Amino acid sequence: MRCEEVREVLPAHVKDGSDDLTVRRHLARCPECKAELARYESLMGGLRTLQMRSVDVPAGLFDQLLAIPERSSRLDSARHHVARHRKVYVGGGIAAVAIAGAAGAALWRSKARRPLTA
Amino acid sequence: MRRQKDTGDGAERELVSSELIERCKSGDEEAWREIVEATHRDVYTLCLRILGNPADAQEATQDVFLKVWRNLSSFRGDSMFSTWLYRVASNTAISKHRKRKRQRLNEAGVDDEVLAQVPASGSVESAAGAKIEVERLEEALALLPDGLREAVVLRDVYGLNIAEISAEQKISETAAKVRVHRGRKRLKEIMFPEDSGTETGER
Ligand SMILES: [Zn+2]
Repeated sequence: MRCEEVREVLPAHVKDGSDDLTVRRHLARCPECKAELARYESLMGGLRTLQMRSVDVPAGLFDQLLAIPERSSRLDSARHHVARHRKVYVGGGIAAVAIAGAAGAALWRSKARRPLTA
Repeated sequence: MRRQKDTGDGAERELVSSELIERCKSGDEEAWREIVEATHRDVYTLCLRILGNPADAQEATQDVFLKVWRNLSSFRGDSMFSTWLYRVASNTAISKHRKRKRQRLNEAGVDDEVLAQVPASGSVESAAGAKIEVERLEEALALLPDGLREAVVLRDVYGLNIAEISAEQKISETAAKVRVHRGRKRLKEIMFPEDSGTETGER
């Protein structure tokens, strides 16, 4: 087996091993390819250690994240406002009203059912 | 954020308790603060590794926590919170990539540029058992083309399997496997540039 062929399989071999005897035989005999495998092994070891390492977060990010509940409810009320006034904004009244009516009816039915199951 | 099977310390525990999540669902702001405090570094780190630049990672982290806040009520205790959070984070970061793709260099075009940016080595021994500097490794990851970086980060840093990666990247399992393979190879060339010549022989 040629070195180039072995080099091609090393990125997979390093993690999952290889049942291919010719690869293993080559690695046992070829110091260059063996050194190459060792490089992949240290690379994989390095990548694994990254999992336990977190980087410094940018200043201000934490506060932005804390403000999310408030920001989210502001977005919601803006959206509700747009939805309520859609007829006015878009002008395509009838379909929107029909959908809203259907949703309202479904909601009503599910509410009406509740006392029966309680 | 961390996957048990790869940590090896066995002392893995959930940073966010179900009690804390319940308090948060009922609108307790202190509970939200505790959840953010416990998890935001890991989320930001994952986003940075996937996206490769701080500005995108910061934006993605905000999107992640917005989704968490909005979907918390549908989170039930049958899976680990960290697993769910992790999934939301990698989804968010990867889809951000897709949106930005047009603005970026394509995979083929980036090769030479990547190799040109790599600092001359000398600090890393190439012998067996060579120590890898983690800072250099993070930099090298950032140099990979997006698709390859996503695949290697998910597979080799966070321990996802190929099926999970193909689902995250919305590609076939074969394609995911190829990306992991090419990503490792490219990363090896970046980390050990002096050894990536093509000495050949037949044995
Ligand atoms: Zn060889």
